[in-house]
Amino acid sequence: MKILVADDSRVMRQIVIRTLRQAGYAGHDIVEAENGREALDKVRSESPDLVLSDWNMPEMSGIDLLATLRQSGSTVPFGFVTSEGSPDMRARASAGGALFLIAKPFTPEAFDEVLAPVLKG
Amino acid sequence: MSTVVEPSLTDVQMVVEEVWTSFLGAEDPLLPMAPGTLEVGWSAAVTVSGEWQGAVSVELPRSMAEEITRRMLDLDDEVEEVGDDDVADAVGELVNMIGGNVKSLMPGPSALSLPVVAAGRVARASDVVEACRLDASWAGAPLLVSVHVRHPEMG
Repeated sequence: MKILVADDSRVMRQIVIRTLRQAGYAGHDIVEAENGREALDKVRSESPDLVLSDWNMPEMSGIDLLATLRQSGSTVPFGFVTSEGSPDMRARASAGGALFLIAKPFTPEAFDEVLAPVLKG
Repeated sequence: MSTVVEPSLTDVQMVVEEVWTSFLGAEDPLLPMAPGTLEVGWSAAVTVSGEWQGAVSVELPRSMAEEITRRMLDLDDEVEEVGDDDVADAVGELVNMIGGNVKSLMPGPSALSLPVVAAGRVARASDVVEACRLDASWAGAPLLVSVHVRHPEMG
């Protein structure tokens, strides 16, 4: 499977990729994007099986990325990895069509809990 | 006039400890300490605007910022140098996580800014006052996390 990791922080992309490995998802192809705009292009060119996206990014935010994907007919499984885990943000994520929201900081266990149904199901 | 809500020191400490434990390892705990002299090498801030208005900032000595970057990138400190771009990225992500979690504890809706990072001390808006400060030490060096709030009568 192919996972697209979108975050404007290279450090955070590295942590997300490392955590995927620690959570038991080592064998997947990883594609990286630095913002929502680049992620949108890569969803189209790379056809990932899952998008893990930050919320706050320059160029295009994660929630705008999700809205644009859904408006264009894409049903790619999508989850947020963001520093904001308030009920309000979770509700907005869910209303936009996200499967889950992982709040930073996170643990490999938190990754496995939400990813197992998507990647092992 | 609305009351200005401020996060408690306990809340801020809990958030900062969680960030540290998750991404920097539990072997070097973050310890509270009395305010002292901190030679700021790197700092970063995020602002929250909306129902709650404030700013969260982190100030670190240079060597600590570099060590944090090494740990976040999982680099071998014997071999690999860290560049300023990576340090700025890591320190920005640190304050983004602390700020995002503080925002979640405050009344919403509100929006979190992208982090502003500086080699040295970040400038702060003149219409904010310090609401909470966490002086701590990590791996033998001091750091400061502070929360400032905007008072409506000052804006």
